[in-house]
Amino acid sequence: MSYEDFLAGDPVIVTAALTGGVHGKEANPNIPETPEEIGKAAAAAEKAGASVVHVHARKPNGERSFATADFQAIDDEIRARADDVIIQHSTGGTGAPDDLRHEPLRTDPAPEMASLDMGPLNRYDHLTSENTRGLVDSLYDEMRERGIKPELEVFNDGHLNEVHGLLDRRDLADPVYATLIFGPGTLTRPRPRNFLNLISNLPEGAAFNTLGFGPHQLAFATMGVLFGGHVRVGLEDNVYYERGELAESNAQLVERVVGVAETLGRPVATPSEARDILGL
Amino acid sequence: MTCPFLEYRSEGDGRSFDTERAYCGAAEEFVQSMRADVCNDRYDLDHAEHCEIFREHADR
Repeated sequence: MSYEDFLAGDPVIVTAALTGGVHGKEANPNIPETPEEIGKAAAAAEKAGASVVHVHARKPNGERSFATADFQAIDDEIRARADDVIIQHSTGGTGAPDDLRHEPLRTDPAPEMASLDMGPLNRYDHLTSENTRGLVDSLYDEMRERGIKPELEVFNDGHLNEVHGLLDRRDLADPVYATLIFGPGTLTRPRPRNFLNLISNLPEGAAFNTLGFGPHQLAFATMGVLFGGHVRVGLEDNVYYERGELAESNAQLVERVVGVAETLGRPVATPSEARDILGL
Repeated sequence: MTCPFLEYRSEGDGRSFDTERAYCGAAEEFVQSMRADVCNDRYDLDHAEHCEIFREHADR
């Protein structure tokens, strides 16, 4: 994907990361946490232009859940309220044992997509989410078995090596779909030259999604649009609409990036178009 | 054993919630969802090893 894809006016897939598993209503009371809230947020995000919703599951008090049943409850609410949106489950889970990381893949039906963290990242001052190659391979194998498209989460440059390594070990279906993540800490330092470097080192034929944390969300989404990529926005990654002003909803963040894409001449993909682009 | 600074509250830090949430008595604020798993020593997590707030306050 490149500037030529932007010039060609190819559709852009907007993913809404609705809730996450790191922060919750203590950071922004508008973050959906219950299945009903997440279902409503998914429907509103789809109406605003999102074709994919990325979801994590939570307990009633907002704490993390990895249980299949909790993902099932969320999916049921999304399907009851949204029209055709693509459901993407997170398999992330700092500190969670490997067997629990597989549980989000086991809903009925399976999600069309699931995230696959490509390597380690630090959390807080004394904690690391390991994401070993062994776990990456076992999650990928179950995704393939269940017909789930992996969204390869590239938290930094080294994780792009891990993508190439996974392609050496496994035969992924085209197109390979990688989310390039920019922000603080272990993430790729959010600078335009790093974005250009990453997209120039993607596997041949790969499609990419662009994720900037916090204040970098809109700027990196715009770069993604300009260089033929896709974009992810939402309250998981950014709780503010502007500096000092909390976002009102996921849909508000989706609406803004849809406006950017359309202003720059790239139409926003419908869920059906997104399925064609991603080979679902 | 969970962190001795962990409480479950519906009010505090100038905010209120419908459901009781994890609150850190050392930091005096509601904690993030992921950190609550550290506070509770869930999964492979241990507040004494993984929480910088506990480590900073434990010896005071």
